[in-house]
Amino acid sequence: MRILIVEDEPTLRAQLRTGLTEAGYAVDEADNGRDAHYLGDTEAFDAVVLDLGLPVLDGLSVLKRWRDAGRAMPVLILTARDNWSEKVAGIDAGADDYLTKPFHMEELLARLRALIRRASGLASPVLQCGALALDTRSGRVTLGGQPITLTSHEYKVLDYLMHRPGTVVSRTELTEHIYAQDFDRDSNTIEVFVGRLRKKLPPELIETVRGLGYRLVAP
Amino acid sequence: MISGWRWPGSLRLRLLGATLVTLALALAGAHAWLGGLFRDHVLRQFDTTLVLQLDQLTARLEFDAQGQPLIDPRSLSDPRLDKPYSGLYWQLDRMSPGGQTRVGVLRSRSLWDTQLALSADALADGDLHTHDGLGPQGHAVRIVERSLAVPEQPQARWRLMVAADTREALAAADDFNGVLAASLAGLGALLALAALAQVAVGLAPLKAMQRALQQVRQARTARLEGRFPAEVQPLIDDFNGVLDRNAEVVGRARTQAGNLAHALKTPLAVLGNAAAQVPGNDLAPLVAEQVQVAQRHIQWHLARARVAASQGLPGQRTPLQPLLAGLLRVMGTLHAERGLDIAAADMPADLAFAGEEQDLQEMLGNLLDNACRCARGAVHVHAVREGALLHIVVDDDGPGIAPAQRADVLQRGVRLDESTPGSGLGLAIVVELAALYGGALTLDTSPAGGLSARLTLPAAA
Repeated sequence: MRILIVEDEPTLRAQLRTGLTEAGYAVDEADNGRDAHYLGDTEAFDAVVLDLGLPVLDGLSVLKRWRDAGRAMPVLILTARDNWSEKVAGIDAGADDYLTKPFHMEELLARLRALIRRASGLASPVLQCGALALDTRSGRVTLGGQPITLTSHEYKVLDYLMHRPGTVVSRTELTEHIYAQDFDRDSNTIEVFVGRLRKKLPPELIETVRGLGYRLVAP
Repeated sequence: MISGWRWPGSLRLRLLGATLVTLALALAGAHAWLGGLFRDHVLRQFDTTLVLQLDQLTARLEFDAQGQPLIDPRSLSDPRLDKPYSGLYWQLDRMSPGGQTRVGVLRSRSLWDTQLALSADALADGDLHTHDGLGPQGHAVRIVERSLAVPEQPQARWRLMVAADTREALAAADDFNGVLAASLAGLGALLALAALAQVAVGLAPLKAMQRALQQVRQARTARLEGRFPAEVQPLIDDFNGVLDRNAEVVGRARTQAGNLAHALKTPLAVLGNAAAQVPGNDLAPLVAEQVQVAQRHIQWHLARARVAASQGLPGQRTPLQPLLAGLLRVMGTLHAERGLDIAAADMPADLAFAGEEQDLQEMLGNLLDNACRCARGAVHVHAVREGALLHIVVDDDGPGIAPAQRADVLQRGVRLDESTPGSGLGLAIVVELAALYGGALTLDTSPAGGLSARLTLPAAA
């Protein structure tokens, strides 16, 4: 899952990057409204953490422009402004959640997980596909109740696929959502991760749709 | 100067009083002056007629061979002189040098058997004197006399007089006075009406101003609206200037309080995260706790500063419905994960809070947020107006709060459930804000067994 962090305070931005990367997200950053708008408009993100008080272009304007352009990714506003009037303005501008500073990183992560899950139309924090279960809260993957150990990249691929059960996901899409923008992307590595996953999981779980991509199917 | 006396409190009474008193004095003066003038004129005319009569008599006065005076009555033109007590009389007196006067040597037939009594008078020859005296039947008469000396009788002096009853002439003057009084009274009444109209028209802008102020006080407008006469408009402009400045000062105070809070919160967030992200950091719990304390202080004082800034500002009116709708949208989004049924009962569109929009938003936002955190499945809001009070009730179906603990949770920083996020300030801030508006927050048990929070606030007209 790929997240855009928009925060102008460098230390806090670094902390957010650390916290989100450790939680297994691919992270892109912007420190002003204009760059944030451009990134959100041109790249595929699974969620955005958006500060409101930003240089060049304020957060609410960025959010409105995205929504006006039909960009529907979940946006969590992370701001020091904690008036209810500001929250109303934020939600009415198209935000999906609102968290005020100072905050606990755990709470931010929990809310992001919920946002991403709800955006995929999933209700439970534990994603199921047949005997396979992925607990988004703990990052634990089990097969028939038995824990399975995955590397960080394997987890990212499986996590993305499990958020879209039954949907064909192209390699490009997987690449876009697993790596940050400045990462040297190579879609061939995706094949490697999928191959490894097939060895750890029932092989028929991840189906290859020729010429289109991969699909997670419950046996 | 009359000490202790003051003008009456009403401007209308002052203006009317001063105008009417002046008017009455002026009209009374005019009546006296014009009446006197007419009376003088009538009497002058009267005298002129008498003098004409006297001239005619003087011309007809003859002396016979014995030196006896003689006036032939037939030679006199006025028939009244022949009719007894007709009101027009003449008489000739002879004044001897020794001071003896023979009254009524000759007299008109109209005097019948009476005489005109006139005090002794020293007149130069040919001089005229006018007297007021009494006639034959005791009626007031005007007498014009002339002293004569004739060459035939150098030792004797004659006094010829004509008298006429003044009643008719004076009655005419009185009639005129009556008509004059009636006319002036009519004029006075018209002028009084005009003065009333003038005062009403003149003071109308003050009434309009009062209405405009009332609109501001009832929070229907933020400024005094309408065009006023040139004499009042500067006052209106100045007053609007004060209102604008007040609002601006409040806005600036809020912004500055907000800016300070925002400026502090980001470093606090950095500090808290930094402590938490270093593995095995013993200080992490302490830092987290102190960050929490600092955050509470900021939140508490920011909320207070915001309200204190807007206290006493006139013209505040916040309609409830749209504000509640906005907050319900926010609650639906913020608590989307819980799938709550969050709804407001139908309420009259004109329900409004007599206070600042952000303050109501803070109070209701905190109450709703609290209810959504605690609710199992539903949060319901309803509002009614009772007289000057607006009651907003937020019910949830959560575990509720035991009556014994209700007083505690309204205190600053007390949290019954440490497992849910929040500063523990929400309800205390609501209590504080409501109190600043003279309102209150009371807790009860909701129909679904959860908490029912009733917020009572001043209602706007």
